[in-house]
Amino acid sequence: MSKRIPTYSIERKKARWGWIFVAPTLIFFSLFSFYPIFNALYTSLFKKKLLSLKPPDFIGLDNYIYLLKSPDFWNSMRATVVFTLGTFVPLLIFSLIFAIFIMSRKRFQNFFQIAYYSPAVLSSVVAAVIWLLIFDPRGLGNQWLNLIMNTPGIDHKWLANSVMVQMSTMMVYFWKYVGYFTIIFIVGLAAIPHSIYEAAKIDGANDWKNFWYITLPLLKPTTILVSIISMLQCLRTFSTQYLFTQGGAPLAPINVITLNIYYTAIRDHRIGRASAMSIILFIIMLLFTWVQFKSSRADEISY
Amino acid sequence: MIYTLQGKKNEINRQSLIIDIFIWAFLILAALFILAPTIFMFTASLMPANDILKMPYRWFPKGFYWQNYWQGIRGNDGSFIYIRNIFNSLVVALAVSATTVIFSALAGFGLAKYYFKGRTLVFMLIMATMMIPFEAIMIPLYLVTTKLGIQDSYAGLIAPFLVNAFGVFLMRQYFITFPDEILDAARIDGASELMIFRKIILPNSIPAVATLAILTFKAQWDNLLWPLLVVQSEEMKTIPLYIVKFMGEKHTDEGAMMAVAAIASIPILIVFFKLSKYFLGGAALYSSRKG
Repeated sequence: MSKRIPTYSIERKKARWGWIFVAPTLIFFSLFSFYPIFNALYTSLFKKKLLSLKPPDFIGLDNYIYLLKSPDFWNSMRATVVFTLGTFVPLLIFSLIFAIFIMSRKRFQNFFQIAYYSPAVLSSVVAAVIWLLIFDPRGLGNQWLNLIMNTPGIDHKWLANSVMVQMSTMMVYFWKYVGYFTIIFIVGLAAIPHSIYEAAKIDGANDWKNFWYITLPLLKPTTILVSIISMLQCLRTFSTQYLFTQGGAPLAPINVITLNIYYTAIRDHRIGRASAMSIILFIIMLLFTWVQFKSSRADEISY
Repeated sequence: MIYTLQGKKNEINRQSLIIDIFIWAFLILAALFILAPTIFMFTASLMPANDILKMPYRWFPKGFYWQNYWQGIRGNDGSFIYIRNIFNSLVVALAVSATTVIFSALAGFGLAKYYFKGRTLVFMLIMATMMIPFEAIMIPLYLVTTKLGIQDSYAGLIAPFLVNAFGVFLMRQYFITFPDEILDAARIDGASELMIFRKIILPNSIPAVATLAILTFKAQWDNLLWPLLVVQSEEMKTIPLYIVKFMGEKHTDEGAMMAVAAIASIPILIVFFKLSKYFLGGAALYSSRKG
């Protein structure tokens, strides 16, 4: 027994240091993550105005009920869902194709990775102002599309038409992030041992069979990961839509939920209602994260 | 028999050649599409506004129209506030990178190498913050900042980003494989825990630190939403806010707009081309974060 006492005190000392090391981070998160989310939940139950001095009225779930009846809120949900689906599906497909094609090359792998990734380095504000010029009636967008479709002189109203402006925001986002997800797929591909392909080759498999029966199934965890990350990112999109409306595009088609939260709080000063929207966004994202957690657990692959 | 085999082989060769050419063409076309907007920004920044929206677009500027850059830096009102705004972005991004690296490394080290009661719970709590989107807490954060009176200041811009869960996770994963024997040897030699952290752990984690610092810097350089909420004065604006403001001004022409965008992008593009392995590695690290 007496022998164990010194070890015990060393363990205690180490435990204390462990706490000391994590303490700053833990305090930070309590103040800047946990407190605000509970505060948002609390505020969402009040009728609270920004800059108003009178104490906020408790109104229970009225903010939520108002939102669920509000066409403006449902328009935002629609804009967000359309944007998310319309962006993440092409992102997923093209980043997978890019990754497989790049990995099949013997040369210039690095060049393509850097080239495809480079837009992700630019800030989203810069991306938006570049594309605003490209989507100008006299800009490159019309020139390219008319060249491809052989329709000279037609203005496709990239920013004015309500369908086109949604496509435009998706295109900016796709352009900016396709390289990022390509890299993630490349990492996933690189983790598949070469010996599997060699074994398949002996069994007489061709490239197409390799892809369909080996690459794709083994990439399933990466694919799920990419879809969840890209969906979560798309749900949070803000800069592109904000810049586009600042640049003169109509608000309604691209009034995504984050933009709506921002305008409700800052322009309309309705803090309570904006908080309720925040909580709804939080719950949606929580659901997605839960799905990610579930699926990543179920799909552990060992080679 | 030999002939038919030969023929079959030729056919396969021809087929794979066609596929090969198709893949190259696809990759090169995609690269052109992806690079074109960035190239457009740089070429347009060197053209007078009339040339930028000319059809068809001329990819090679006739001369170098440097007035755009002068106009962009000077601003429409001649206040040169953009220089101050660039400085603000640098201060915020560097400060956030520094604190994120330090606090993430400390917490990651504590979680990886020390056994204490509640360690798993602490780790889970920190990871749980990844599920809280910034957009959902920005309003309470804004209210707190105004209550503390640090809105429209560096403190207000920096405070919500001092450390993040991804950083802690990254550092923890990195430290977990670090051999305990080395730490114990240092303890026997009389090193304090802080000394171990400073003299052994930090110098041996340069790749992880660099990756985290670069990704954090980039995210802050890009940050629009939070500065939009907390900053009111022109002096405290960051680059994204300046771009938004510049875009909205009546006298802004397209050339100057692209020059402003180019100035904002040049530093980060240089860092990217110099240190691309950390960027690409960062994407990879992010993808392994589920562990």
